[in-house]
Amino acid sequence: MTAVIECRGLTKRYRGATALAGLDLVVEPGQVFGFLGPNGAGKTTTLRILLGLVTATAGEARLNGRRVPDPSGLAQVGAMIEEPAFYPWLTGRRNLQILAMFGRHLPARGDAIVAALDRAGLAFVADRKVKTYSQGMRQRLGLAAALMRRPTLLLLDEPANGMDPAGIKEFRTLLRALADDGTTVFLSSHLLAEVEQVCDQVAVILAGRLVEQGTTAALATARACVRAALDPADLDPALALLASWQARADGPDAVLVETSDGRAVNEALGRAGIWARQIVLERPKLEEAFLELTEPELTEPELTEPELTETPEVGHAPAAR
Amino acid sequence: MRLLPGELRPPRDEPQRGELLRGELLRAEIRKLNRPLSWGVAGAAALFCVLLAAGGAHNASLEGQSAALTHLPSCTQMGVPPGPRCARAEVLERARANQVREQPARTAAQLNPLAAGAEAAGLMASLPGVLALALLAGAHIGGEWSGRTVKNLLTQQGRRWRVLAAKLVSLWLAGVGLIVICWTALAIGGPVLVHLNHLPAPHQSVAHALSLSGSQVARALLVLAAFAVLGVLAGVLTRGTIGTTAAVAGAAIAMLVVASLPALGTWTPATWVQAWMGFPAGQASITSLPTNFWSRFITASGAAPGHLAGLAGLAALLAVCWAASVLAFRRMDISG
Repeated sequence: MTAVIECRGLTKRYRGATALAGLDLVVEPGQVFGFLGPNGAGKTTTLRILLGLVTATAGEARLNGRRVPDPSGLAQVGAMIEEPAFYPWLTGRRNLQILAMFGRHLPARGDAIVAALDRAGLAFVADRKVKTYSQGMRQRLGLAAALMRRPTLLLLDEPANGMDPAGIKEFRTLLRALADDGTTVFLSSHLLAEVEQVCDQVAVILAGRLVEQGTTAALATARACVRAALDPADLDPALALLASWQARADGPDAVLVETSDGRAVNEALGRAGIWARQIVLERPKLEEAFLELTEPELTEPELTEPELTETPEVGHAPAAR
Repeated sequence: MRLLPGELRPPRDEPQRGELLRGELLRAEIRKLNRPLSWGVAGAAALFCVLLAAGGAHNASLEGQSAALTHLPSCTQMGVPPGPRCARAEVLERARANQVREQPARTAAQLNPLAAGAEAAGLMASLPGVLALALLAGAHIGGEWSGRTVKNLLTQQGRRWRVLAAKLVSLWLAGVGLIVICWTALAIGGPVLVHLNHLPAPHQSVAHALSLSGSQVARALLVLAAFAVLGVLAGVLTRGTIGTTAAVAGAAIAMLVVASLPALGTWTPATWVQAWMGFPAGQASITSLPTNFWSRFITASGAAPGHLAGLAGLAALLAVCWAASVLAFRRMDISG
């Protein structure tokens, strides 16, 4: 099966600063794919390269098997990059009509626009000028513009910004329905709880490089740990016993062991005559996994794209784990 | 966000070459021009033309009255000794007096509804026109960056030169629209001003009036295209509303300044405009009702280029600015 998105060594440098440092990424079709990373990690730059808005300094990117920039291929891509902007003196409907006129000929344009507005929940304000829209409404209009051509691939950058909780829930349902129908949704978002609920796979990037990719469950399982509650007197012997697993104390009467194999921990303790009062397998949420993956960067000042991170020295950024 | 069953299946067909309709892009750009700023600029241009015509008609009326009362000065009054020099001075003085005497009729001819197209074209192919287009270019081209809408356009249409071409043509059409609006305003206001200022009938044939207007409007089309392409280039380079407006206005003023330099005066974009439009040189362009606001600023001595040289110069300016715009826009990263 051809990957919908494929990046190989994708690099983007701006006057000495590096936004992407050899990003490798493969996204298979028909799924909701979460694209995560701290501010300045290179998410928006990646999306801009995929859409032909920015030229890569090195490496290559492919959309639907075709190397970008690919003007013809844009007809199959719906996109919403950062906060969507529209012509404030025109109505929402007129804005979509103008965008539709720019791209490949859209058969039954009027119907397609009505359907897109309806899907985005904007039909009731379609004939109001955009300058009267709230931020959430503008987000919805951006979503309508992205859906207008019924794309095979949807690239969304922080699409739920400014949406109310009901809107976010509707949006989640819509993304799932699109993916179930065969559309690939590539979602860059900071709402990790939402990503966890809706995404089939996620990729985490840091300083312009991929650090992790997999299902949300796999990401969590990889960081699962065993918590063993003990008598305080058993704490030090237990830490010594479990040192090969990287164990650490969790209060005066518990140890945290970095493994997902609870049985092995139990067996090791039992064989040494240490009886745990409780053994629990703790799976972190996506948010905790994300923070763990990106922790070193959080101490640095936050940058917003297209402001950039400095080029990491060799060996500084973690390679794909 | 409602889900419409059966509507979500995406089309799987490959896009075909030639499916993109260029006319659609132009129509989209023209629709975007339907905005308060455009109508404000059009209204201001029409008002400017009418006020200028009102002042011109009043000036012509006053000059006509004073010319009727004054007598030709003698050679003694002029301080010229009798002889051939005196005769020459008298001829010149008579010609000047006749010119002043003819001002009312000439102004009335300029304000004839059919001939007013020449006045409208002259104004729009000079400083008022370039300033109006600078404002429109700022909003229409630079505004795509300031408003962050350029990324929307380019995610729909990846062939950037087409976007730029639609912008250029729509801006040029806006300039043409300004000529039409100014002509209409003068055609309506002109006869009223002629009547109010008691200007004489110009005895101008319909064919002459139409040919004068037709010729000047046709020539102005090229000048407007040059102004529009300057707007496109400024928009691409400055990527902002204010920057674009300031750059176009600044470029026009710089052209006029450079045209006044003795070494360069004959071969600059400003003199090409003057030559192509056939504007009277220097002070000769200052009449009761000026036909332009351009050549009065050009004081360079030396032979001005002819029509053809003006045409070639403007065509070259257009080609160079267009090529530079496309090149810059194609290579540009859209990060705003």
